[in-house]
Amino acid sequence: MQWRNSANNYGAVAKFLHWSIVILIISQYVIAEAAEELPDGLDKFAMITRHKSLGMLVLALAILRILWKLANKGQPAPVPMARPQQVVAAAGHGLLYLLLLAQPISGWMMSSAANYPVTFFGLLQFPALVGADHDLHETLEEVHEALFAVLTVVAVGHALAAIYHHVWTKDDALRRMLPFTKPRSP
Amino acid sequence: MSRARLRLRTLALAVSLFAASAAQSATVWVTDAARSRLGFTGTLSGGSFDGSFQRFQPEITFDPADLAGSRFRVSIETDSADTLDADRDTILKGREFFVVDRWPVARFEAERFSAAGPGRYTAQGKLTLRDVTRDVTLSFTFEPAADAGTAMLEGGTTVRRLDFGVGQGEWRDTRWVGDEVTIRFSLFLRRK
Repeated sequence: MQWRNSANNYGAVAKFLHWSIVILIISQYVIAEAAEELPDGLDKFAMITRHKSLGMLVLALAILRILWKLANKGQPAPVPMARPQQVVAAAGHGLLYLLLLAQPISGWMMSSAANYPVTFFGLLQFPALVGADHDLHETLEEVHEALFAVLTVVAVGHALAAIYHHVWTKDDALRRMLPFTKPRSP
Repeated sequence: MSRARLRLRTLALAVSLFAASAAQSATVWVTDAARSRLGFTGTLSGGSFDGSFQRFQPEITFDPADLAGSRFRVSIETDSADTLDADRDTILKGREFFVVDRWPVARFEAERFSAAGPGRYTAQGKLTLRDVTRDVTLSFTFEPAADAGTAMLEGGTTVRRLDFGVGQGEWRDTRWVGDEVTIRFSLFLRRK
């Protein structure tokens, strides 16, 4: 198995990080919506607690993903495309990385502002990022939701761009991030 | 019982009462509420969070030289529990936890004190929370100011919330809300 990225393909580590984050973020949305439906009680609390633990996992994976990208020094190179497209793609990816950090961090701050602990499934406790503050909590709740709206738009744009590359341009942009798939070009 | 023996017993009782009141020379302190705090630390899903009681009335009679004459009586208004989150406070004051409508006051009373090192003491007393009374031992330090006009009384204990029925029904589950709760107090005392 190819672990590291190569000149024209993502390695297993990058693919794993990419897709596990995708799955986790979709799960996070489902869990948050389900928790919202529940009356105040233990079930709701347990659901939100899982959401927070998984959020900290997303944050850890996002940091690893960024470090791994840096460690792979620009490999694989972007598929051939026009300069403006390259700029949009780079900006989109940069924004995605930023959102992958901002989304969980805003949730973490939100918990801290409401004086709730953030743990990783009860195994370790993360320090509070801000002091308890009701108004700040309300603001951060809105920020957390707004960030998710932006993340959804950018992620959908990212997916549509990958499909566009695959179907119209017929390049490897999508193929090289798919698990168990090799690029067509050598 | 003969009248003479009864009279003797009455006298003995009067003497012992007098002796007891004479022994009550321990200093009576007034707590400065603004500079005092009664806090607690609970755990949620393995993480700790702090809360406090905003209103509590300590009656402190304490003298390191007269532990026998010392006593603590503290009443705590359960409705003043504050964990800095309105949703959690509502649950805490509600029917599965403190039930503040039914049990508005929690009490701690201690009359048995012992020294536990320089400036350190323990108080064995009873804590009543909801309708449950249990033995609770406090560890605390007592630091009088140089002029002895004021003093700091600081300490705490750990209790199990379920011993007092705090958390009924689904909230008995300690996976999410831990059983152990640490209580800490810091009282700024002025000589009465």
